[in-house]
Amino acid sequence: MKKILGHLVWAALAILGAVCLAGIALNRGEPINSIWLVVAAACMYLLGFRFYAKFIAARVMALNNDRATPAERLRNGHDFEPTNKWILFGHHFAAIAGPGPLVGPVLAAQFGYLPGTLWIIIGAVLGGAVQDFIILFASMRRNGKSLGEMAREEIGRVGGFTALLTVLLIMVILLAVIALVVVNALKGSPWGTFTIAATMPIALFMGLYLRYWRPGKVLECSIIGFALVVVSIFGGQAVSHSPALAPLFTLSGVTLAFAVIVYGFAASALPVWLLLAPRDYLSTFVKLGVVLMLGVGILFVRPELQLPAFTRFVDGNGPVFAGKIFPFCFITIACGAISGFHSLISSGTTPKMIAKEWHAWPVGYGSMLLESFVAIMAMIAACVLQPGVYFAVNSPGGVVGATPQAAVETITSWGFPVTVAEMQTLAQDVGEASLFQRTGGAPSLALGMAQIFARTGGGRAILAFWYHFAIMFEALFILTIIDAGTRVGRFMLQDLAGHIYKPWGRTSWMPGVVGASAAIVLAWGYFLYQGVIDPLGGINSLWPLFGIANQLLAAVALCVATTILIKMHRWRYLWITAIPLAWLVVVTFTAGWQKIFSPYPRIGFLARAAQLQALVDSGNVAASKIGVVRTQIFNERLDALLCAVFLILVATILIDSIRVWTGVLRGTREARVNEAPFVPSRIEAEAL
Amino acid sequence: MKRVKRFGRFVLELLRELSDENAYHRHLAAHGRAHSRQEWQRFLEERLRARYIRPKCC
Repeated sequence: MKKILGHLVWAALAILGAVCLAGIALNRGEPINSIWLVVAAACMYLLGFRFYAKFIAARVMALNNDRATPAERLRNGHDFEPTNKWILFGHHFAAIAGPGPLVGPVLAAQFGYLPGTLWIIIGAVLGGAVQDFIILFASMRRNGKSLGEMAREEIGRVGGFTALLTVLLIMVILLAVIALVVVNALKGSPWGTFTIAATMPIALFMGLYLRYWRPGKVLECSIIGFALVVVSIFGGQAVSHSPALAPLFTLSGVTLAFAVIVYGFAASALPVWLLLAPRDYLSTFVKLGVVLMLGVGILFVRPELQLPAFTRFVDGNGPVFAGKIFPFCFITIACGAISGFHSLISSGTTPKMIAKEWHAWPVGYGSMLLESFVAIMAMIAACVLQPGVYFAVNSPGGVVGATPQAAVETITSWGFPVTVAEMQTLAQDVGEASLFQRTGGAPSLALGMAQIFARTGGGRAILAFWYHFAIMFEALFILTIIDAGTRVGRFMLQDLAGHIYKPWGRTSWMPGVVGASAAIVLAWGYFLYQGVIDPLGGINSLWPLFGIANQLLAAVALCVATTILIKMHRWRYLWITAIPLAWLVVVTFTAGWQKIFSPYPRIGFLARAAQLQALVDSGNVAASKIGVVRTQIFNERLDALLCAVFLILVATILIDSIRVWTGVLRGTREARVNEAPFVPSRIEAEAL
Repeated sequence: MKRVKRFGRFVLELLRELSDENAYHRHLAAHGRAHSRQEWQRFLEERLRARYIRPKCC
């Protein structure tokens, strides 16, 4: 009886999910309530988790709770520690959740809510969560080895080295693009700039508090830090109203870019306990809290989506970024659907903390579903804005016109009416001078979040606080990624350089530390600067590059996963990793090819360079601007080269993997599984 | 009420895990040492050195 009831509940969920998906897919012309998206996503996630993931766990991986995990066998109280599965779920989710699932869907909303929403749900259930789950499983069976180590072991030395180089290059682009998101959010905003600047002395105070005054009291210290950050938001409001202080914190994009570059270098050179670690603790708590608040806010307010299911920009002429739904929607939303970066986390700390093999099911697969749900919430937050407002905020001057009047005329002519007066009122409501051309996704996400939060209580009077709270939340953890990423990039570069000259590999050798830090900061700083001075807004070039790079890393992870399945003789189930891998290869290689060779200057880097070169050759560029245009030409060619390098690196891994697969399938290569030997577990599952 | 209490305990445990407070207690227990400023500094340096050699997710 209980079994029949269970079947009925799952059948009802499947029907409900199908009805909601059909509702959001078939609705045209009228605003749709966001609850449709929430319910459709929740039903699909539950079904995917209960049936697809369980099938993979039982049939493909054959998870076995009688087998001791590395956390049990190698327990040392530090890295290797059996941990309660729900605690580990939260830990893993906090580690994988970054700005990607928030910003990507906001940018992809230019196509309308439907393409992005479907990709987030389907991509996560069939691709992203599967990748995270299988890599977590593989690492867990190999004593917590990293993706690079597994690539070297399972595919070969070429695969391992290529994976390391790919990660390093992706880091550079990632840091540049997220720094650009912060710069665009703070440009010309004394309130936001003051609040973010204040987080630095607050973090220093927290670092000293933890080290000298109250050692070990991280939670207590973080509560104090959070209170100070909230005070700094109010302080930012006072600064923005002060005729003496406001100009000091009203900075241009270029000035902010240099400030972030200098900060990145300093933060990577300072002791981690002083700035990085305390802010990391604080940003983790704020991130989890705000995601929870947004979820509750959406359920409470149940806002209607103002953007249509599809916009006219499915034709590839979108102002936020250029390119058609295929392939650009699928690389713009990476985190939230499938993200290669997650494979680094799934083969990092988490596999060393899993107490029982079956815990990998909720931790690996379930955490990704929650991240995907965050992406759905970001999509909702973007789509609750009036379409005219959304495009006015997210469109660069180079596309819609440099003045507010020109921008509203262009956007209104697209069928998304908006006026200068409306935009001014909205800017005043959120305490900003202007909301035009605030590209990057962060300001429009903050606007959407502020509208949802304000509708739970307080209304327009509190809109400005919530807007700057959301900006603070986004900038806080982006800056944490920047300084941690610069540090990690430094270690990776030193590791690579150590093969050429041994002292470079020593992380305590000061010339190596300073040189490698400077090289990493200059690398991402250059791309950041390039984005800031780009008349098309920077995001148009850098976000697709980041998306391609991130998805290519996912392709690397899926190559490793497929190789492992082949070596485990799971040929019948190869489609589980092979289909997402084939999809990613097609999407990323198409996107990469178009970004390099498309004849349309807004899409193709080389076409844009040729267009600018023709402009210079025709003599139509003012003498004072020739230097800037030449730099832009160089940047476009550099982006094309980088994109080509990404494609070549991943093609190398793919070819190397196919060589291994065919060898194993033909029987000319040994199908050796490099798993740690079976040791019976002594931990009782109930004890956790 | 029991469920609310259990959920509250879970949230607190999660926050302690995320803040490394649990890891510190495990460190003290594993090495048989008492809490002190020096011990915390030693633990944190080891912990952070291991943490910040891995990229943070995007």
